[in-house]
Amino acid sequence: MNGWILAATLALGGGGAAVLWGVTTGPPARRILAQNLATSAVCPALLLLSQGYGRPSYVDLALLLALLGPVGTLVFARLLSDDLAGERPSAWGLTWTAAGLGLAAVVAACAAAGPGRAMVKLLVIGVLLIAGNVIASRALAGGFRRVGGG
Amino acid sequence: MADAVIVVTLLLTAACATAAVTQRDPARQALVLSVLGVVLAALFTVLQAPDVGLSQLAVGSALTPLLIMLSVRKTRRRGRSKEDRE
Repeated sequence: MNGWILAATLALGGGGAAVLWGVTTGPPARRILAQNLATSAVCPALLLLSQGYGRPSYVDLALLLALLGPVGTLVFARLLSDDLAGERPSAWGLTWTAAGLGLAAVVAACAAAGPGRAMVKLLVIGVLLIAGNVIASRALAGGFRRVGGG
Repeated sequence: MADAVIVVTLLLTAACATAAVTQRDPARQALVLSVLGVVLAALFTVLQAPDVGLSQLAVGSALTPLLIMLSVRKTRRRGRSKEDRE
């Protein structure tokens, strides 16, 4: 067990427990926020696991999650818009903390991978993860209400 | 010690699955189910089966919740229009 896997375990355990607690209790707005947080907690953990096992191909999972996670959140934001009409969920502190976690994992993985194609892939994942997280949070907070027509 | 990550992910998966069953509202169940899909993909990765994890991620995080939410919406609408007629 090396430091990468230990860090991934901490990210999975801490983030997963927080997400589970948030998604099972409280009003719908909080649940959707927690569901969005699941993506930003597990994606860095997958990156760290890929480094820990020494298998660069495992990075594909993080790439797919960074792509599809925000899509899932937007599906919920669109289809649950009736429940969200009264309250506009926003937790920008949490959002930026999650984005910082993703950034830290991407930077660490980049430093370990060194320059090359692998580093470009990691940077793409980082950009997708943080942009998706911010866009989903903004959609939940009602920033795109006029555009979405919800 | 090396199995700690497997134990943590397994516990998380079990807790998520139990939580998904104990929720009453289908929409809330779909939310927990999408979290379960993501955690299950992490479990498959930890168990060195990333190919299974990839398909689980695609199906579990976006597709299954979308299908459930669409059917919940449709049934709610049908229920509402039936109430209006009566």
